[in-house]
Amino acid sequence: MKSGELKNQEYKYGFSTDIENFKAPKGLSEKTIKFISELKKEPKWMLDWRLKAYNRLKVLKEPNWQKPKYPKINYQDLYYYSAPKSMKEKPKSLDEVDPKLIDTYNKLGIPLNEQKRLSGVAVDAVFDSVSVATTFKGELDKKGIIFCPISEAIQKHPELVKKYLGSVIPISDHYFATLNSAVFTDGSFVYIPPNTRCPMELSTYFRINASETGQFERTLIIADKGSYVSYLEGCTAPMRDENQLHAANVELVALDDAEIKYSTVQNWYPGDKDGVGGIYNFVTKRGACRGKNSKISWTQVETGSAITWKYPSCILQGDNSVGEFYSIAITNNHQKADTGTKMIHLGKNTKSKIISKGISAGQADNTYRGLVDIGSRAKNSRNYTQCDSLLMGNKCGAHTVPYIKNKNSSSTVEHEATTSKINEDQLFYCNQRGLNQEEAVSLIVNGFCKEVLQQLPMEFAVEAQKLVSISLEGSVG
Amino acid sequence: MDQLFNIDLKKIFTSSAEEALERKKNFDLFLKTGLPNKKDENWKFSDLNLIISKNFKQITFPDDLKFDKKIQFINDFDHNHITLINGVYKSCDLRFEEKDKVKIESLKSLDSFDTGKGNNLFNLNKALSSGGFSLEVQKDYKCKKPIIIYNYFSSDLDNKIINNSNQIMLSKNSELTLIDYNINEKSKFFKNTFEKINVGKGSLLKSITIQKTKSNGYFYKNISGTQDYNSSYQNFILSSGLKFNKIEINMDLEKEKSSCYILSGLCLGKEEHQEIKTQINHLAPNCKSYQKIKNVLENDSIGVYQGKIFVKNIAQKTDAYQLSKALILDDQAEFNTKPELEIYADDVKCSHGSTSGSIDEDAIYYLMTRGIKLPVAKKLLINGFLNEIFENIQEEKLKTFLKKRIMEQVDGI
Repeated sequence: MKSGELKNQEYKYGFSTDIENFKAPKGLSEKTIKFISELKKEPKWMLDWRLKAYNRLKVLKEPNWQKPKYPKINYQDLYYYSAPKSMKEKPKSLDEVDPKLIDTYNKLGIPLNEQKRLSGVAVDAVFDSVSVATTFKGELDKKGIIFCPISEAIQKHPELVKKYLGSVIPISDHYFATLNSAVFTDGSFVYIPPNTRCPMELSTYFRINASETGQFERTLIIADKGSYVSYLEGCTAPMRDENQLHAANVELVALDDAEIKYSTVQNWYPGDKDGVGGIYNFVTKRGACRGKNSKISWTQVETGSAITWKYPSCILQGDNSVGEFYSIAITNNHQKADTGTKMIHLGKNTKSKIISKGISAGQADNTYRGLVDIGSRAKNSRNYTQCDSLLMGNKCGAHTVPYIKNKNSSSTVEHEATTSKINEDQLFYCNQRGLNQEEAVSLIVNGFCKEVLQQLPMEFAVEAQKLVSISLEGSVG
Repeated sequence: MDQLFNIDLKKIFTSSAEEALERKKNFDLFLKTGLPNKKDENWKFSDLNLIISKNFKQITFPDDLKFDKKIQFINDFDHNHITLINGVYKSCDLRFEEKDKVKIESLKSLDSFDTGKGNNLFNLNKALSSGGFSLEVQKDYKCKKPIIIYNYFSSDLDNKIINNSNQIMLSKNSELTLIDYNINEKSKFFKNTFEKINVGKGSLLKSITIQKTKSNGYFYKNISGTQDYNSSYQNFILSSGLKFNKIEINMDLEKEKSSCYILSGLCLGKEEHQEIKTQINHLAPNCKSYQKIKNVLENDSIGVYQGKIFVKNIAQKTDAYQLSKALILDDQAEFNTKPELEIYADDVKCSHGSTSGSIDEDAIYYLMTRGIKLPVAKKLLINGFLNEIFENIQEEKLKTFLKKRIMEQVDGI
């Protein structure tokens, strides 16, 4: 793989920051893991945990049932840790952070200076393998809310991390989850104390900058009894003609009466028009509704990445718990997506709702793959699934692979799916009123996605709408 | 696998040394991987290896079978018939058809069967096949009455395996209604059938599968076929009553304007497990496929539907629809489904729907307020739920007969 910048007008976050990096030795080994652990000044139990995962990884095989196939990844040819040199010693305040990094985030539209931010959002900015800064910490502290990089949480709140880390995604889960458990570098940790409503949106912005690196972040969110949190995640990367691996693990735990709303706007570099470069986004996201009346809601807008392969899932353990999944997956040019959700109903009166919108253009392939499993003890449970696909042109593909299991006579499962192209009548109507073809398509597609876009927090909804239009640019003709 | 299948290939009748060699080759191939299990995506919801090894200690090849049952024909409507005993062709009677228009004979060779590649049961079938029938309808001939295939079995078939293969060909502009009628009662045996179908230009084939009574059979049937221009294939599956049954249909819509209908109404009871798996390949523009699968599940029964619609990029104007519905009457019953779409053409109308749940309480309430007792109301609703699949059968007598079969099953609940 050769690294080098490519020119592409449409991906506006494709710049890279010229900054001196500090990297772990190349390759995956016990040495690398010890190196990462040492650098993060982790306690022994954490290192043991990582090594346990690494030993498990040795016997696991990479899965190959997915629709988008990719060339074999050479795991020994990757850097598992890369951070700006200036971040070796963690800066105490924003004033000590390298101005180049602050500039990078300004350019991405994420100013780290609290005064300049929209007051409603606290940000944890992750650059390659380290967290650069976390904003509004003071204000959150007052309420007892913990919002910090996970490496900091391992040191400051070991009892919480020990209790919940790996409790939703066990280290032996599957190849990429295990890989992440062994080598994860940074990510966010959130704990909302009982009966607290988080006063602002929490968000993490992930940026891959260095070449030949993989990003392995780990996020853990715990909503204690009766609490509420809304969490946003955004991500971008420079344009390169190499493929970069992003294998993250996200675990959510909702206790009695708690609610977690998790939104993602994924805009990793998708590769160029000929399918060269782009991020492999192989992410494991899973939430457990442990308590009664708890709720977890996933919303995702997937526009970037060369390959998106993820299934944000809900395990509905608590009685009356609710799981929701709203997704828009847009693939253009040579992008591929295999995404969907799993709703595992275990508790009584559990409810789940899945709305998935897939849009395929160019030579792209878009697959919805989902599981709804209603266990025999999940009495009076309910699921509603709707997955619609839109095709633009006959070189792309749209696929739907739902697995539905119902072991219960008092539960109801409903599933519907459609595949079609943009309605000619609607296009004609828009054209007639003076919209050109691209504007008309953008309008119709935004309408098609409306049910999902509505679920996003306001700040993200506007951005996501624009993203939907941009992602499809050049696909009409 | 060697222990489960205690079969001496030498005892199987073979016409030539070559054939014997071929059988041996296929049997070795089969033994290598054995029966499919749930690790195989196609068998995800029905682990055949588990089901068979749980219910059979040893499976042997039937030799020296006696057949002493009296063959009883259906007299509800006029029909022609073919009789198969233990899967082997015995006789036929085409009294309602013109001479030489329909050709039926014992199937000689399995050479034309090549669609089962990658399916280990196909290797098993090729190794142990005892033949079957081959049926051909001449061009421009529309059969006047349906043909019923009477599948009779010996009463000493316990722990035996039957492998047979049939071939059905409809030439240009022909028409046929074929009813596969299974009559087996007590014996517990495994039947593995492969069927090949060609529906010619402008032809119509209606195929109906019925099971006479409850039985201890474990059946697998693989149907693969091709359809020519403007042809229609309609399959009605009413095979409730077997302990295990999997019907796999792979249909290629090769030419324009062809259509394929798969309709099923099943009523499954104690220890019954049935799966319908379909793959409809839309390979040409303007084709239509329509699938409606209805299951009523009581006790600890398991119903499975795996359907796949594949649309090739040139197959514009495709109209494809899948619907699977299940009524789950008991908490031990289970319904698993995987309705899959794989679409590469944009100007298409493809959709699927799937629901499962209990009987609508409001509908029961409505009926009860009108003085209908609970059990009767339930039966009325279940009957209505299943009868929906008969829209495409015009022949009144046949329709009444099929409805009666459904009614009997519902009454058994």
